[in-house]
Amino acid sequence: MKTINFAIDLGTTNSLIAKYDDGNIKIYNNPLGLKQTLPSCIAFRGNRTVIGDKALDYLEKDAENICMLFKRKMGTQDTYFVPAIDKEMSPIELSSLILKELKNFVNDEDVLNSVVITIPASFDTIQSNATKKAGYMAGFKEVVLLQEPIAACLAFANTSNVEVEDKQNWIVYDFGGGTFDVALVEVNDRELKVTDNLGDNYLGGADFDNLIVEKLIVPFIEEKLGLTNLWKDLKSKTTSYKGLYFELLKTAEEAKKELSHYQETEIELEFDINGNDFYEQFMIKREQFEDLISSKVEQTITFIQDVIKNNQLLNSQIERVILIGGSTYVPLIKRRIAEAIGVEVDSTIDPTSAVVHGAAYYAGSKPTTVSQDIETENDTIKEDSIDFKLFYEQNTRDLEELITGKITSDKVSSFRIMRKDGGYDSGVKNLDDGSFSEFVPLLEGRLNTFKIQLLNSALDVVKVITSVAINQGSYNVQGQPLPNDICMEVDDLDASATRLEKVFAKGSILPLKKKIYKTASKTILQKSSSNLIINIIEGKAKGLPSSGLSIGYIEISGKDLEEDLIKGTDIEIELEVTESRDLKINVFLQSCDQEFKNVFSESERAISMNKINMEINTVLGDVEQLIRTHISEENFEYSQQLENIRVGLIETQISATLITDDDVSDSKFQLDDKKRKLIQDFDDLTRNKLIAKEIEAYNDTKSNLEYHLNKEENERFQDKYTRIIKNEREVINSGNKYLIRSKIKELDELYDSIIQSSDENFITYFLNLKFCTEFSNQRKADKLFKQGDQALEKEDYKSLRHIVYGLSALLPDYEKEKQKKFKDDSRTGLS
Amino acid sequence: MTEIINQIFALDLKMKKDNNDSVNRYLDRIYHEFEAMGFQIINPIGQAYRNEMTDVEANIVGDLNHKSKITKVLKPVIYQIEHNETKLLQKGIVIVE
Repeated sequence: MKTINFAIDLGTTNSLIAKYDDGNIKIYNNPLGLKQTLPSCIAFRGNRTVIGDKALDYLEKDAENICMLFKRKMGTQDTYFVPAIDKEMSPIELSSLILKELKNFVNDEDVLNSVVITIPASFDTIQSNATKKAGYMAGFKEVVLLQEPIAACLAFANTSNVEVEDKQNWIVYDFGGGTFDVALVEVNDRELKVTDNLGDNYLGGADFDNLIVEKLIVPFIEEKLGLTNLWKDLKSKTTSYKGLYFELLKTAEEAKKELSHYQETEIELEFDINGNDFYEQFMIKREQFEDLISSKVEQTITFIQDVIKNNQLLNSQIERVILIGGSTYVPLIKRRIAEAIGVEVDSTIDPTSAVVHGAAYYAGSKPTTVSQDIETENDTIKEDSIDFKLFYEQNTRDLEELITGKITSDKVSSFRIMRKDGGYDSGVKNLDDGSFSEFVPLLEGRLNTFKIQLLNSALDVVKVITSVAINQGSYNVQGQPLPNDICMEVDDLDASATRLEKVFAKGSILPLKKKIYKTASKTILQKSSSNLIINIIEGKAKGLPSSGLSIGYIEISGKDLEEDLIKGTDIEIELEVTESRDLKINVFLQSCDQEFKNVFSESERAISMNKINMEINTVLGDVEQLIRTHISEENFEYSQQLENIRVGLIETQISATLITDDDVSDSKFQLDDKKRKLIQDFDDLTRNKLIAKEIEAYNDTKSNLEYHLNKEENERFQDKYTRIIKNEREVINSGNKYLIRSKIKELDELYDSIIQSSDENFITYFLNLKFCTEFSNQRKADKLFKQGDQALEKEDYKSLRHIVYGLSALLPDYEKEKQKKFKDDSRTGLS
Repeated sequence: MTEIINQIFALDLKMKKDNNDSVNRYLDRIYHEFEAMGFQIINPIGQAYRNEMTDVEANIVGDLNHKSKITKVLKPVIYQIEHNETKLLQKGIVIVE
């Protein structure tokens, strides 16, 4: 059995749409805003129709072309004459536009043929039929009506599991932003029925905001500034306070919300008034607010008492009062009703969405009589026959682009463009001779995707185009791309070496600018000779720092500092590459509050012979070590290649020693080029091998860890493990050994915590240590082994654990050794 | 998170109003961190206001026409970028004159 599932709360001021989905209710958000509610308001602007929030923009300027509160006129012959389109609009037509807009909230895949629409308890047959007609006009094939108080009771009953066996009387108290309604509902085990209702169409929460402004904020300002008549002036069309009125209303609304949760709130006022800066704050207590609104609240209480009295009931015969409508968040309301009627007051359901929520439950239980398959088939045929062409720039640097469309179908008479992130809506606009041209705003630096709807003359959507995407921030045709990555050399303390960090990727379009935040990896004392090095390199980001071309190099030594640069403090580096390829570097040291600015042009390359020498030394060490291992593995061809590099490097080094730093010839640059070429060769020769090695190490660590994880007692570590290996594929495919290494480190840490979680795990360790011969103090180690054997015999694993710690401390610390070799002068000082 | 961004934004406005430029660097850094977390924060002050801008809630003073500008920003526009998809997280609250 297929059920209706969709429900609409077609409200006087706001409307909502929801869906019943297998026991759950989904209330749809407006794709163009963040709210679930759509203001029931329509603005007609000549060839453009605006529905919802944005229609309210024209309220002041163009009130005669704005239609709102038309629900009050449903079922009457009153129409709204709209000068902008020179047409009479009936409340039914207007309501159908709201319903169509709500359809837009629902995903395009869903077919909406049947719907439940809620109506006030006070609606008579004619008003109800008018609502149905609006539904059919909006394209629904089946419309089922449901009274709002019933919907609210359903929402309550379905969320609180109340069992009703005998007949009960419930009151639904609906206090919205602009209207108030109270309904008496009879509930028994089989049905819900509205027996009576009363209300006031001009009483709502907006009155509370106005009272706060009028009675609390305005007198405060008047007193501070010695003004009079401010309240009147604020609302007058002729004064310059107009903006201030809205601002104060917002402040009042915030304060009202705060006071629903707290006993007091602070009002902060800050604005320009008569050319003067006004900045003051004051406190409002909840009692003050309650005093203000109490007469309004009492009016609503009288309505409840009247409805009870009119039906010859006593307060004690009312089982519960259900609160809905945004204004019922105010605690005074709940308290006063409980005092006056003496019954349970329920505010557990969300007051704004209760009606649509309950209606969706109803829709989920109501079978539909419309078959959907046939309908969809027809729709597709209709849609396919619409031909269109679109023109727009796919890439742009502008913040606005023109989308032009040509539609060859007489079925389409208007269009609407929406940006998918919700930041732009053209509204429904008429086509001009079968085509349209529209400037759309773009979000900076993002791929902006659009949805274009084509509509017929009844404003039904006949086609949706979702393929339009404009990339802001990139040039379409011109613009110089970077030929290589631009990177910065930073310290890699784990690997005890420096590495490259990508700043701008190859192919990025100039000009480019970026701020990078780093921390100092060493302390540089004032006046010391220690250096902070900013080395900007053009070359492969995955390569060795010395394989790239240094295009900007700044040394900040202790002598340049006004204060000590402390390890761990922030270093801000701003890099800019202009269109003419100038590199600007701006370094700010937080702990010294000092700024260093440099501009480099490629033509004046700065080369430090000292640095060349240092770099060669580092690589040379690696080359020689590799040669040794490969010779022992009899991999002669490979070691011959390495040998060539080694010889080249030594030659370069010798030449380097013969050149002084103030040499003005080209030889410096030739040497630097030669060095880079050699190091690049070495890099290419070894990179893949290194990465393969890292991946192998990663897999070893992983399988080792998994062995322990499979033990029952270690199950609790499983979650963390899953988290660590979640992005494993990306890391391995990145080809970046540093990333892989950091993953290994994470796994190692987990391994350690698993091992340390049980003393017994130390047995294997202890036995393995017996094979070690490198203890720094063999006598001490022998003693510990003896103690360990005894502990093993006694099964005293706790002591064994400490003995293992003791033995480990006697082993040489390879990491420390390596770090010692990472000498201060080969570090950049950036981490 | 939006509340934290709003407070920082308010702080920023206040500092600028008091001509307190010395803290700009720190505010820039905070905005940078927000960006790294996927929040795009926009202050539309001074922009021409169009009714089609659904990312701001405008309080319009006087007549709305093509010269209308955003003259005051009470809350900034916040977009959130997640899985390379942008979505509006908070509408800006502005005064248009």
